[in-house]
Amino acid sequence: MTRATATWAIGFVVALALPLVLSTFFIVLLIEIAVVALFATAFNLLMGFGGMVSFGHAAYFALGAYAASLLAQKAGWPMLAALAAAPVVAAFGALIFGFFIVRLTHTYFAMLSLAFGQIVYTIIFKWTSLTGGDNGLLNVWPPAFLRSHTAYYYFTLLVIGACFLALYAVVTSPFGYALKAIRENPRRARFIGVNVRRHQLYAFVLSGFFSGVAGGIFAFHNGSVFPDFAFFAKSFEPLVVVLLGGVQSFYGPLAGAFGFKLLEWVISKWAPIYWPLFLGAIVIAVILVLPQGFVGLLERRTWRPRPSIGK
Amino acid sequence: MRISRRGALVATLLMSGSLGLGPVLEPAYAQGKPIRIGEINSYSGVATVFTFPYKEGLAMATKEINDAGGVLGRKIEYVHRDDKLKPDEAVKAARELVLQEKVDFLAGCITSAVGLAISAYAKDAKVLYFATHCQTSRLTWDDGHRYVAHTTNNVNQYARVLAKKAAGFPYKKWAHISPDYEYGQNLWEEFWAYLKFLKPDVQVVQQNWPKLGESDHSSYITALLQSGAEAFFSGLWGAQEIAFVKQARPFGLTEKLHFFTPAIGTPDELDPLGKEAPVGAITTTFPWYDEAVLKRHPKLAEWNKKYSEWAKAQGVKDPQPKLGASWGYASGYIIAEAIKRAKSTDHDKVIGVLSEGFEMEFPWGKVIMRGCDQQAMPPQWSGVVKMGKDGKPFVGDIEETHGKDIIKSCDEVAKLRAAAAEKKK
Amino acid sequence: MDLITSLFPWITNGPLIAVQVMSGLSVGMFLFLVSVGMSLIFGVTRIVNLAHGSFYMVSAYLMVTLVEWLPEGATGFWISLVLAPIGVAILGGVIEVTLLRRIYHRDPMMQLILTFGLILIIGTLVLLVWGPDNKSVSRPDALAGSVRIFGQPFPSYYLLVLGLAPVVAVGLWLVFYRTRWGMLVRAATVDREMLGALGVDVSTLYTEVFVFGSWLAGLGGALAAPTVAVALGMDADVLINAFVVVVIGGLGSFAGTLISALLVGELQSFGILIFPAVSIVLLFAIMAVVLIVRPWGLLGRPEE
Repeated sequence: MTRATATWAIGFVVALALPLVLSTFFIVLLIEIAVVALFATAFNLLMGFGGMVSFGHAAYFALGAYAASLLAQKAGWPMLAALAAAPVVAAFGALIFGFFIVRLTHTYFAMLSLAFGQIVYTIIFKWTSLTGGDNGLLNVWPPAFLRSHTAYYYFTLLVIGACFLALYAVVTSPFGYALKAIRENPRRARFIGVNVRRHQLYAFVLSGFFSGVAGGIFAFHNGSVFPDFAFFAKSFEPLVVVLLGGVQSFYGPLAGAFGFKLLEWVISKWAPIYWPLFLGAIVIAVILVLPQGFVGLLERRTWRPRPSIGK
Repeated sequence: MRISRRGALVATLLMSGSLGLGPVLEPAYAQGKPIRIGEINSYSGVATVFTFPYKEGLAMATKEINDAGGVLGRKIEYVHRDDKLKPDEAVKAARELVLQEKVDFLAGCITSAVGLAISAYAKDAKVLYFATHCQTSRLTWDDGHRYVAHTTNNVNQYARVLAKKAAGFPYKKWAHISPDYEYGQNLWEEFWAYLKFLKPDVQVVQQNWPKLGESDHSSYITALLQSGAEAFFSGLWGAQEIAFVKQARPFGLTEKLHFFTPAIGTPDELDPLGKEAPVGAITTTFPWYDEAVLKRHPKLAEWNKKYSEWAKAQGVKDPQPKLGASWGYASGYIIAEAIKRAKSTDHDKVIGVLSEGFEMEFPWGKVIMRGCDQQAMPPQWSGVVKMGKDGKPFVGDIEETHGKDIIKSCDEVAKLRAAAAEKKK
Repeated sequence: MDLITSLFPWITNGPLIAVQVMSGLSVGMFLFLVSVGMSLIFGVTRIVNLAHGSFYMVSAYLMVTLVEWLPEGATGFWISLVLAPIGVAILGGVIEVTLLRRIYHRDPMMQLILTFGLILIIGTLVLLVWGPDNKSVSRPDALAGSVRIFGQPFPSYYLLVLGLAPVVAVGLWLVFYRTRWGMLVRAATVDREMLGALGVDVSTLYTEVFVFGSWLAGLGGALAAPTVAVALGMDADVLINAFVVVVIGGLGSFAGTLISALLVGELQSFGILIFPAVSIVLLFAIMAVVLIVRPWGLLGRPEE
């Protein structure tokens, strides 16, 4: 374990030093990578560890983003308080939806999650008096001491770093192992006394909670939130990130986030029209050729046929 | 599950190392030579009907300005980005243009939500933003601030022109169909407020809010037919309004209810409709072909020709002068003029010029940039849709008003801004 | 009673309601064509083809091009109507053989994700080929006007759609219940392995089903093209609606899809009159309720 800890310590120090060498644009990019990494890791808690693929996860990101913005702007809460409340709102949404969604499996799970995601999107879009509808909420800025991109970068590093530690703790806890057991063989897990439904629901809520954190952080970074944050096409992004980086690994989504954001930046520069095409092609390529994603590629030299994720 | 340290370590190092590619990929610019303006607009979907001719108008103006020596001895260069009709993308593009491309100013927008979003970003980043095509009055009024200027018409002006015409008819019962977003809401508010002000006995019997870009309006059409209204207002525009009119035709909607809509008067919409154009509809327009207008503005004919030749040379399918083209053209010149008068690209100096206001003559009349709100006031034309002998629709019975004679006064704007600020507290 | 008539002033307007109902039926028909293809594919191959909306869109765009190329007039229109869905069917076939075959044995989630990826690819290809601006297809002159139903004007084109609907429904029924191929398809929805064990080339059957399903989506798109704005983003719109229809009706159930498509069509039609603000939410709420109470849809079969 110590080698890993040392690696991460070094990585952290490097991350701290980066603003000294990078231009503002790249600092902004790093903030966005961190947000995507957290969102994808939260998503992977369900997908990689729990074996449940949600097609409407953008809803929880959006709930977090909107909760943070509304509390800060309309209720006048200080930013930190609003940010603390955001994941709670998202988790609450996850609790309500999750209660229904975990009763289903696979295809129907995915479809119901998509439906709920679209419901959240439509509510945000239509409830103009509260959410500003299509205009979104504008002028959602952090307090003066966090206004500069560099300052916000350090803040993001702190918060998201803490979230990663928390998620790591969850994943390596008995709860995490129970989740994996459920993913591999739900019937067997039930046999050995694991309450499958309840574990899945907890996983869903936790996933929603951390997605909400990502949303909240992004809201203050972007200065504005839009209903699009909840649209089903946005739910595809954590999926791509996770596939890219590696479903089976905890750090996969982090690596995937770097790859994803960099790809997005490069392609948007040279040929923005092709971005969705690349996205789709990458996903298909990963599914067909590289089931373990990028991290998996480095990990194994030999590919063994994977057992299917859950039944 | 193995937490592979080696794998994760190598992967993350590789990924973060690739960030180092950044400075390499970042294009190097000859420092300071051209004045670069980041232009964000919607070059996809429903908006292209307007934004493509707009881009040509802007490009033509820019070429003329550069050929004449540029501004402050430097060429003007526009860096374009497509926001795909999404304010989210627009904010991203704005940030990239400012932080990476290091543009001198921001410009653009056609959807009002995008305009408002870019304006909010511009205010925070302290970058001057010239809103060009989008129309919501909130841009320079409720949500106005010193870092945003509006180079073209705003909703208030032409909505009022139409409302004034509507007040001349005896209709008391009104319905409307407007796209459910900022522009649609703003447009209806402005139209109705002024109509009610001029004719207090009017009432709304039905409201229809299809989403922007909706493709099937049949339910709205049947709803309108039974609403009991004598006339209806449409805030739809572009491809959506074209689809709406086509779908409404078999129902005979525009024959039963008098049709008022600001958008249909432009060739961008009338030409694709052809024989299906709603004859009798009251609308606003850019009457580059009208004899009376051409007589009043002698330079217009020449500009029309110049634009058509330019558009043809660019390979544009339909080289007729369009409203969007005139707005792009005007924006190009207004932006250049503001920088010229400030004698610098320093934002505070340019804002200083804008807040004093200035006037410019265009082939179609005078455009006044008003200082109190940094809002442009161009001439307005309204008329009735008629069918030409060759089956080509056009707008006739043109009436001309100047924006300055109908727009909200500076005092009213100040009151609006104060009220909006109060609400935010 | 007064309260009702003041809230819904049209409720006593019989002819108007009739016209609105018929309008809703025609909308329902487009949905049915797309949804039944999706439902069929799922029933046999167990894949939810998320790219189905994209097939619908491609067909509409093909209509635009074909109508432009072919000589103007009714014949050109009808030929395009026949050719466009065939074009999409070919596309579907190519996709099935090159991509989907490789993942039948994989996790259903991966299959779902792959078809989602297809949406993005096809969408971009459409943009590259046809450009970003909206297109339209004109109705043939004979169908461009309207007829009077109970004194209310009703677009003639919708009459065509309504007329075709029972033809299509009966045609499908005949195919599935009166042909050998249809019998194989029905058998495949019940037990694929057994079918394979009995010597049927299941793999080719899958391709055929996918091609047929794509053709249906293409037919829907081609028929709808003259009534809507042919634009990018119509794939997402129709996909979401088809999704709702298929889920409510039951994946794999023909009758269920038909009923549910008509239901959704009517809901959309009347939703605007009754609940203008929330008609969209209503749709999803109903879908969610069905998924919770009866996840396999009204007439579907529970998951093995």
